[in-house]
Amino acid sequence: MTPTTARLQILVCGNSDRCDDGAAIWAVSHMLPNRGFLEASGIAVTQCGQLDVNDLVGIAGPVLIVDTAVGVAAGASVTLDFDELLAHPKDISPHSSHALPIDQVIGISRSLRDAPLDGLFVGIGAADVGFGQRLSTPVREGMGQFVDAIELALMRLTAYVH
Amino acid sequence: MTHGLAHDTELTDRQFEVGMLTRVEGEGSLTLHVSDGEVVQARLGIFEAPRYFERLVVGRTPDEVIDIVARICGICPVAYQMSAVHAFESLFGVEVSPEVRRLRRLFYCGEWIESHALHVYLLHAPDFLGYPSAIELARDYREVVERALALKRTGNRLVAMLGARPIHPLTVRVGGFSRVPMREELMSLRRALDEALEVALATVSFVAGLEAPRFEREPRLVSLRHPDEYPMNDGRIISNDGLDIAIDAWRDAFEEDQVSWSNALQARTHAGEVYLLGPSSRLTLNSDRLHPRAAEALASIGLADEIRLNPFWSIAARAIELVHAVAESIDIIDGYRRPDRAFEPGTSRPGVAAWATEAPRGLLFHRYVIDDAGLVAAAQIVPPTSQNQAAIEADLTAFAPSILTLPQAQATHRLEQLIRSYDPCISCATHFLDLRIEAPVR
Repeated sequence: MTPTTARLQILVCGNSDRCDDGAAIWAVSHMLPNRGFLEASGIAVTQCGQLDVNDLVGIAGPVLIVDTAVGVAAGASVTLDFDELLAHPKDISPHSSHALPIDQVIGISRSLRDAPLDGLFVGIGAADVGFGQRLSTPVREGMGQFVDAIELALMRLTAYVH
Repeated sequence: MTHGLAHDTELTDRQFEVGMLTRVEGEGSLTLHVSDGEVVQARLGIFEAPRYFERLVVGRTPDEVIDIVARICGICPVAYQMSAVHAFESLFGVEVSPEVRRLRRLFYCGEWIESHALHVYLLHAPDFLGYPSAIELARDYREVVERALALKRTGNRLVAMLGARPIHPLTVRVGGFSRVPMREELMSLRRALDEALEVALATVSFVAGLEAPRFEREPRLVSLRHPDEYPMNDGRIISNDGLDIAIDAWRDAFEEDQVSWSNALQARTHAGEVYLLGPSSRLTLNSDRLHPRAAEALASIGLADEIRLNPFWSIAARAIELVHAVAESIDIIDGYRRPDRAFEPGTSRPGVAAWATEAPRGLLFHRYVIDDAGLVAAAQIVPPTSQNQAAIEADLTAFAPSILTLPQAQATHRLEQLIRSYDPCISCATHFLDLRIEAPVR
């Protein structure tokens, strides 16, 4: 991963009114601040309804994508770096990429950027992406582990920021 | 038994399979059956699981339905909202103000811009330029891909301005919007739209310089037509062979049917004939309604006949519609006066609510039965891709003989390129692979 002095960006994907699709928003907005991590690290957080090339092209530093994950058991967390996502896009990928698959989003962004694009994806498997704000039981039970994974990913990425 | 095309030049009885359509939202396949050197059957299989939206909206109020149907597609949610809201307003006798009507066209323009920019540059252009995907294209044609992103960003900003967010917008409601923007808010987009117009015009020049595979047929074209405007939310359903019916009367001319190889219903005329929707149909049937800047652009490239006859040239139709959508957006914003009311009040009534609008990919028909309690009792949603399926299969049948002698990779590429010409939305669309050629068991 390429060292950079730029700030770290978290892209929080999903919709909070689509049950488990809001898991990432829930984790970052309600649980992560309790751990005092965001303030300490000067991290920028952006909410994305969908992951778009435009979101990644303009970012200077490393990126953490937090989203529900396709290809993961409900409530289980997964952490992949971007190279792993590109290598096996059909196996596990972020849920919120409507227009282009994730390998295209990252690949096109990398092609267009003047600086390398590195980062991590932390996802949680969803059980229910129906309508409503309620998280499913497996996702509620897996939320602690999900936030742990996000925190660990932030620690890995901030090692390159500071 | 599976062969590569390159290894077998005797093309008598064969089965061709484009197995998994990958890099698509949803899953599909193509199977071609060849007998005596001729393609006798082409099947576009769609095995994306049914999503049950028509059942999901039952028991819901109209305003809930408008939010729910927006979730059908991450690329064209405005289209789903527009067909639904117009259907309800038609039944309830609600007439929106002229300002709200123009805002809805602006809303739709935003969606056309982001959808067409995505398809022209990131999904379809790599085929014409010989790249496997937009990733490789971006390495060699950085400026081209940056154009796409700039256009897409402007389209997304328009949708977000009116709908509160760029996908799955929130503000559409029966009678208008829950909120309408201040003039200054819309004016903040003017510079971006001026730049977008230049980019859209450059897009027309760019696509006119591409080389499309040779293929001609005379399809039955269907779209809306409005007396004064390029069609989006209003008009009548027409065809190039004389159909002319009310916008809510889709079922008078067409019907859906289930086929064993597709989880999406296929639509045909009552006589069983296939028809084509989308930018090429819309443009061909409404070129005299284009914005002057778009009409000028079309005249300058002189591809009107090619757009009508050759599905590969749909890329040019999208480019022209990009110019139209950007130019009309500028006009709407320049003339904008904030309406006194964001929405007109209306009262629900029982009956049948039906309407069609022009999604980026073509005519999108909705029909709802509203019960005495004001809730949806039954629903029918007919998206353009399901209507185009049979036409795609017919075109594949007609086109396939020209690729039978090509090497495997080239044949695969041509078939994929043809299917991508229709911008199918099982797909938010890209490439599909694994062309297999199988000899039948003898």
